[in-house]
Amino acid sequence: MESSDSGDKGNIDQSEAQRQSQLDRLDREEAFYQFVNNLSEEDYRLMRDNNLLGTPGEITEEELLRRLHQVKEGPPQQNSDENRGAESAEDVSNGDSIIDWLNSVRQTGNTTRSGQRGNQSWRAVSRTNPNSGDFRFSLEINVNRNNGNTNPETEHEPSVEPSNGEDLENSQSDSEIPRSESPSIRQPGSERSSAEELAAEEASPPRGQRRARSRSPEQRRTRARTDRSRSPINAVSEAPRRSHHNTSSQTLDHSSAGEAEGSSRTRQHVTLRQHTVGTEVPSENAVLFSPPETRPAPQAAGSSENTGSSEPTAPGQRPPTIVLDLQVRRVRPGEYRQRDSIANRTRSRSQTPNNTVTYESERGGFRRTFSRSERAGVRTYVSTIRIPIRRILNTGLSETTSVAIQTMLRQIMTGFGELSYFMYSDSDADPSGPAPSQNVEGSEPQGTGGGTSGSENADVSSGEVYEGGHEASSTSGARREGRNMRGSVTFEESGSLPFLSLAQFFLLNEDDDDQPRGLTKEQIDNLAMRNFGESDALKTCSVCITEYTEGNKLRKLPCSHEYHVHCIDRWLSENSTCPICRRAVLASGNRESVV
Amino acid sequence: MQRTTRLTRELSLLATEPPPGITCWQNGQLDNLRAQILGGVDTPYEKGIFNLEIIVPERYPFEPPKIRFLTPIYHPNIDSAGRICLDVLKLPPKGAWRPSLNISTLLTSIQLLMAEPNPDDPLMADISSEYKYNKQLFLLNAREWTEKYAGQMKASKPLEEKIVQSETSSSSSESTTQKRKGVSISRKEKKSRPDS
Repeated sequence: MESSDSGDKGNIDQSEAQRQSQLDRLDREEAFYQFVNNLSEEDYRLMRDNNLLGTPGEITEEELLRRLHQVKEGPPQQNSDENRGAESAEDVSNGDSIIDWLNSVRQTGNTTRSGQRGNQSWRAVSRTNPNSGDFRFSLEINVNRNNGNTNPETEHEPSVEPSNGEDLENSQSDSEIPRSESPSIRQPGSERSSAEELAAEEASPPRGQRRARSRSPEQRRTRARTDRSRSPINAVSEAPRRSHHNTSSQTLDHSSAGEAEGSSRTRQHVTLRQHTVGTEVPSENAVLFSPPETRPAPQAAGSSENTGSSEPTAPGQRPPTIVLDLQVRRVRPGEYRQRDSIANRTRSRSQTPNNTVTYESERGGFRRTFSRSERAGVRTYVSTIRIPIRRILNTGLSETTSVAIQTMLRQIMTGFGELSYFMYSDSDADPSGPAPSQNVEGSEPQGTGGGTSGSENADVSSGEVYEGGHEASSTSGARREGRNMRGSVTFEESGSLPFLSLAQFFLLNEDDDDQPRGLTKEQIDNLAMRNFGESDALKTCSVCITEYTEGNKLRKLPCSHEYHVHCIDRWLSENSTCPICRRAVLASGNRESVV
Repeated sequence: MQRTTRLTRELSLLATEPPPGITCWQNGQLDNLRAQILGGVDTPYEKGIFNLEIIVPERYPFEPPKIRFLTPIYHPNIDSAGRICLDVLKLPPKGAWRPSLNISTLLTSIQLLMAEPNPDDPLMADISSEYKYNKQLFLLNAREWTEKYAGQMKASKPLEEKIVQSETSSSSSESTTQKRKGVSISRKEKKSRPDS
C-alpha cells in the first residue's frame, strides 16, 4: 500500500484532487477487503452470486453492507425487481442491441429483453437458476409482414418468473407452457398484448385491401407467402448471427457443468416445439428448440377475406413467429426415471386433443419424438429430441457422444432450413395442391414436405400454426422423403443456409465453444479456501498484485497457487485454468478433465 | 477499482525497474499507455525504436490489454496496422492471457517475438514465407524498414536534437522514459516534415 502510494506520487503526475480520490479509493479498497474478510462464507457466496460485490474500491463498505442486508431480506423479490426493472428499461431499446444483451446474459442470469428491428420484433428471456445451475433461454421473433414499420413488440410478459429455482421442475414447466402457448393461442388474440393487438388492427386494413384487390385465392396466397417467406428467414438468420456466441457457450457451459457433477447423469433434450404444445419436456437438460411459425392463416378464410378489417381476421394476421427455446438442465441420477415419466405424461396430455399423431424413433441413443396435434384449428408440430449424456465417471464425456450431439443439432438446424426452404418454394410455385388433406392425414411421417406445402396451398381455412422446423427434426428419412416429393435438389443449399448459421451459434462454432469457458459456482466453491495468517510468508495475489494481509480470504487451487477469493473467483467464472501455471483447475482436481 | 490500483502499481514498477530495452509510460489517461521497445542486438531491428500503443480494457486484468505497434515493422507476426499475433495477447481458450501476466511481461514477450518470429503462425503470409525460405531477403527488408521507420535520431540532425533537449530539459526530474519519449516525438516531427 505504502509503496504504491509513494509510487503514485513519485511517478505519476497527478493533481491534488486526483490523488485525493485515489486515496479515497484505496481506503474503500481496504474496507472492501475488510468487509470480505468478515463475511461468512455463506454471505460471501450470496453476494457474489448476486453480483453485489463489485470490484474492490468501487463502492463503500456501507453500500456493501446495505446490499448484503437487502439480498438477505428478500432474495427472490430483489431478483424479480431487478428483472422488472431491466425489462421495462430494456423494452424500449432497439433490436440492434440484442447482441449486447446476449453478451451480458451470462452475467445477469435472469433477464428479459425485447426490441424490434425493421419488421421484426424479438423478445428474449434468459433465466439462470443459481441453485441448480439450470439455464434457460428463449428467443421469440415475430415478423410482421403486413406493415413492416409499425411493429408490435411481443409483449407477453414473461409468464412466470421462476421464483426460486428450487422447484425448478415445476416452475419451468409452468413458465414453459404459458410461454409456448401464448404464440399459439393467437387465435382469439386473448393472449396477445395490447400492443400487438393494436398493431394487428393497424395491420388489418392494408391487408384487407390487398385481399380485396387480388381476389383469386391463388394469387393472394402467393403474395402472402412471399412476404412471409422472406421475413422469417431474415429474422432467423439474424437471430443466429446475434445469439451466436452466448447461447452456444452457455449450452456448453452447462453441459460441462453437469458433467463435472461427478455422480450425476446429464441429459439433454432438444425439443423442437411448435406453439401450442405443452409437450414441454419439463425435464432434465433440455434444449428446447421451437421454431414455430404461426401461419397467419386466414382462420375463417372466407369471412376474413371479405371483411378485411373485421376483428376475426386479427388472428389471421398474426405475424409469423419463431420461437426458440433452449433449456439446459442437469439431472441428478435419481431423477431420471421420474422425470421421464413426467415428460411422458405431459406429452400424452397434450395429445388428448383430437387428431394427435406421435412418432417416435430411437436411434443411436437419441430419442426423437415427433407429434402433431390439431386443436381448435391450430395445428402444432412438436418434435423432441433427447440426448442423454451418459457420464462415465472420470472418463468424461466420450468423444462420440459429443459428436453425436452436434449431429443432432445440426439436423435440427437443417430442419429449420427446410422451413425456410418451403417458404421460399411457396412463393415460387404453389404445387402440391391437395395439400391440406395431406397434412391432416399425417400419412407422411411428420408431413415434412407435405405438411408444409399443404398448408400453403390449402385454401387454408383453418388457422394453422405451422411449424416447419420440427419436421426436420423428426427423422432424416422422413425428411428425405419430403425432399423427394418436392423433387428439389437445391433444397439444402438454398433452404438451410440461415438455419445453418443458427446452428453455428449453438454448436458448430468450434472455435469459440470447444472448450468450456468457466467454472460453475459449485465448482468454484469446492475449491479450498483459507484465511491468510500472520505466519505465512509474505505473498502477493498475482491477480491484483496486492500483498495479502492478515485475515484475507484466500482460495487455493489444486496446483497450490493461491489468490484472493474474490480475485480468483472472478477469473474462474470465465476461465478454467490457474492464472499462474495455466493448469486446468478441474483436471488437476478430483474432477474430470474439462479441457 | 482493482484495475486502477493494479495499473498504478504496474506503472510505478515499470518506471523504477523497466525490463531491459523497454520503456512504458502513461499517455494521458491511465488506460492509455505508450511503450517503446528497442530493437534487439543481432536482429534486423537493431538500433530501431519501436513505439507501441497500449489500451487497457475496463476488465483488466481479467482481459488482456490491447497492444499494437505504432511504428511500422517488417515482421511475420505483425501486420501493417501494427496488430500483433501473440498468444498472450488473447484470452483463453484461444490465447494464453492470464491475470498473473502484466504489461511488463507482455512487452517482454513482444520483444522476444521480434527476435524470434513465429513463421508457423503467420499474420503476414508473404513476410512469413520470405522469412522461412529466403531469410537473406527478409533480413534485408526488415533492416530497411527499421532504418526507414524506426531509425534512431543520430547526430545527422543536430538541430532537432537540440530542440528536443530543450523541451525535455524543462522538466527537472527527467527520467530516461521521458528522454526517450522526447526523442520519439522529435523523430515523428522530423518524419512529418518531409511528408508535408
